[in-house]
Amino acid sequence: MSGPTLADLTYVVPELILVGAALVLILLARRIQRSRVAAVVTVFAGLAAIATSGWLLLPEGNESAFGGLIALDGYSRFFKVLVSASLVLAALLAVRDEERPVRRGEYNALLLLASTGMMFAATSTDLLTFYLALELTTLCAYILVGITVDRATSNEAAIKYFLLGSFASALLLFGISLTYGVTGETDYSAVAASLSANDGATDPLQVAAIGLILAGLGFKIAAVPFHSWAPDAYEGASAPVAAFLAAGSKAAGLAALGRICMAAFASQAEVLTTILAGMAGLSIVAGSVIALAQTDMKRLLAYSSIAHVGYALLGLADGSAKGASATMTYAFFYVFMTLGVFGVIIVLGERGKRLDGYEGLAAQRPGVAAVMLLFLLSLTGIPLTAGFWAKFVVIESAVRAGHLPLAVLAVICTVVSAFVYMRVAVFMYMKEPRESASPHLSLPVCAALAVAALVTLIGGIFPDILATWVVSP
Amino acid sequence: MTWHVLTVTTFLPLVGALLLFAGPARFARWIALVTTVATLAISIPIYTTFDKSSAALQLVESADWIPAWNIGYGMAVDGISLPFIFLATLLSVLCIGVSWTAIRTREREFYAALLVAETAMIGLFAATNLFLFFVFWELMVVPMFLLIGVWGGPRRVYSAVKFLLFTLTGSVLMLVGVISLHTMCGTLDFRELANATLEPEAQGWLFAAFLAAFAVKVPMFPVHTWLPDAHTEAPTAGSVILAGVLLKMGAYGFLRVSIPVLPLGVEVFVTPMLVTSAVAIVYGAYMTLIQTDVKRLIAFSSVGHMGFVTLGIFTLTQNGVEGAILQMLNHGIVSAALFLCVGMIYERTHTREIKDYGGVSRIAPIYCVFLTLFCLAAAGFPGLNSFISEFLVLSGAFETSGWLGGAAIWGIALGATYMIWLYYRVVMGPPNPGLEGKSLELNAREVATLLPLAALALVLGVYPEFVLSYLHAPVELLLAGLAP
Repeated sequence: MSGPTLADLTYVVPELILVGAALVLILLARRIQRSRVAAVVTVFAGLAAIATSGWLLLPEGNESAFGGLIALDGYSRFFKVLVSASLVLAALLAVRDEERPVRRGEYNALLLLASTGMMFAATSTDLLTFYLALELTTLCAYILVGITVDRATSNEAAIKYFLLGSFASALLLFGISLTYGVTGETDYSAVAASLSANDGATDPLQVAAIGLILAGLGFKIAAVPFHSWAPDAYEGASAPVAAFLAAGSKAAGLAALGRICMAAFASQAEVLTTILAGMAGLSIVAGSVIALAQTDMKRLLAYSSIAHVGYALLGLADGSAKGASATMTYAFFYVFMTLGVFGVIIVLGERGKRLDGYEGLAAQRPGVAAVMLLFLLSLTGIPLTAGFWAKFVVIESAVRAGHLPLAVLAVICTVVSAFVYMRVAVFMYMKEPRESASPHLSLPVCAALAVAALVTLIGGIFPDILATWVVSP
Repeated sequence: MTWHVLTVTTFLPLVGALLLFAGPARFARWIALVTTVATLAISIPIYTTFDKSSAALQLVESADWIPAWNIGYGMAVDGISLPFIFLATLLSVLCIGVSWTAIRTREREFYAALLVAETAMIGLFAATNLFLFFVFWELMVVPMFLLIGVWGGPRRVYSAVKFLLFTLTGSVLMLVGVISLHTMCGTLDFRELANATLEPEAQGWLFAAFLAAFAVKVPMFPVHTWLPDAHTEAPTAGSVILAGVLLKMGAYGFLRVSIPVLPLGVEVFVTPMLVTSAVAIVYGAYMTLIQTDVKRLIAFSSVGHMGFVTLGIFTLTQNGVEGAILQMLNHGIVSAALFLCVGMIYERTHTREIKDYGGVSRIAPIYCVFLTLFCLAAAGFPGLNSFISEFLVLSGAFETSGWLGGAAIWGIALGATYMIWLYYRVVMGPPNPGLEGKSLELNAREVATLLPLAALALVLGVYPEFVLSYLHAPVELLLAGLAP
């Protein structure tokens, strides 16, 4: 293993941009607390990160940098673009949020740093780098949830999130150390080689290690039974932060999970499939059913996001490259439709946080209602929206892997979740308005909604556009 | 054909739906009318260039859609789908006609939902790819949900949600079937699927998966319970689309997917299908008899009439299947017309209770001419369209089993009873005091809305070969695929 060279830095240009922007914002924080400079810097840094991750500067093919600590394959690029995109949208949504934190500089810097961590989580090919990246993300996330210091719910949510999250990190670290104990390696490919060397015999210690790592990651992506923090954290956090957690953080968690499953533990397919399929089934059922009882929109979306993670895991549970691609597709479209729904919540202000706040929205603001309907249909999985294609590919994975009962369970839960989402549509279209329409409709939020709606629609009509991008590690 | 007539016909209404939002709300109905009439006009070449003697798919259009998954965009028509494209385009025009003055709230959204539904209907009957078929199938649910839930009657939200949950439950199970077919065959093109050989066991459960979707849409006994609620609460245009076209989607699915692709599955399920169809005919007729709400009565009569369709299809005889397809068309004409009639008078009286009517013939003679015609047609009166199709289905049923034929005849007798009884209570006798002072007579727009359907009911009653000539070749091909 040779030491890092200057050339290695070209592999992390997007991350450097984000870190640079974060540092600038922290330095200037006191001067820009009340202006929009911070948001503008964040948006442009995110756009630059999208551009550099997507097609500029980066060499073709599978390459690794920093002595094999991070990989720069199609998989990395895909998730870097996705994470930066969710950063840009979340920053746009936060520009005019009424419960915005006063500390704008720090707020945006934390968003940037969290995104950096997410990118490293998706690209790292070493258990320790991966752990550090994930910790960077979650530490920023704890603060972001609690950044509205004058609101008790926000503080409570941050503490809950922190306690459960640190527990998860401990589990993850324990799993990593067990893996190191069994294999003597932390590099993914070396772990994989070591595991496949003692062919057939499954070391119980290794099974425990995989279980612990998956449990830790399950926490991060809020999969059942490690989901209990999500509803409280989403409810307590301000809406843009909840949006960022639900979208970017889950995508990055899935990315890290996918890479670990495909690159490090591929030889333990049976263990992986059992755990992942179990988590997927439980998440889908619990997320869909508990969402039925919610009247707070952010809690409702928290449970819905739990169900969606379950669907996304169906792809990884298959264990094949095609399954991993399905999960990537799901993560991509899920990010945009979730950010879209949160965007509508933010547009509606205080009213948007309650389910009955949507009564009569279609009569008052037909445009906002129509966009919301599009996102709801997409979350349900109705054709010609991206959500349908996402469901199609993951259920195909389940069917192809022979998990037919799981596939049937998943589609039945789609009907349950249809009731959840369509209840919002019923409120919007089939009830009389009781509250006056809110005035919030600023340009940044409109831009974010437009991007999310376009991706949801175009992705639904021409799902093929993603086909060349979703390459498993 | 250099221009893609099927694609243009399918998506023109969608373009119209977008145009609605470009103009002011008061032009909405005009834009919608122009769009539907243009769609009807543009579809004319489909019928004129069609070769009846061939069983093959015609006007074939195909393009890549999702090449990575080998899913293509494919459209074509054969003799079975052609009549339904006509029915969908015609009924859409009439729906605009009947909503002209009835819908005064959120007009743009209303007509947009109707036009999206039209696209979904035409597309479904023209699709030659199962994926595309599924897309249109699901696309239909959203506008119908909104039509019922926003512009419907007092219990509209309950009915809309019930409709949504029933149809979605069916269609998600179909989705598992579609995905399984894709993993097994690697393609979703109907013709390639029909040539693929599938394991008998797989065919059995695939048939069950598709049955879940088709049975809910038809609707077959015992999953018909969404139908009376949805039809009753929907606005008139919604009921017309539901009864006229949406119910036919399920039966069409049997003809397009189940029979050609899963012949061995059909073999396993044919007896239960026949029995539930017979039950639907008799049970549906009895349920219809006890209804006290005009709209609900007509809605329930659909259960029995669609029972004839599934009965005919699963006799798997030339007469039975041709009769079933003709019955689909006839039911589309007659029940749509009856819903139009009820809607027109409801707009004036705001009551659907049968007891609030009576002696309408004295007040509105022209209206009663139409109502008489359609009631007789629904009762299966000779010389009108339903008689022929029910006769064909009966002959197919008797070829299969005497018991089925007996049950069907029983259903026809009951059908005549409830139709005539309804007619007697609404039209005959002294005028109901509650109707005094109301002008119930139809205006010119409403007469123009009903006339095309009246003409069709008469023409198809006298000369059914007009439609049957399209059906001979494709039905023969369909049944040839089943030969043991």
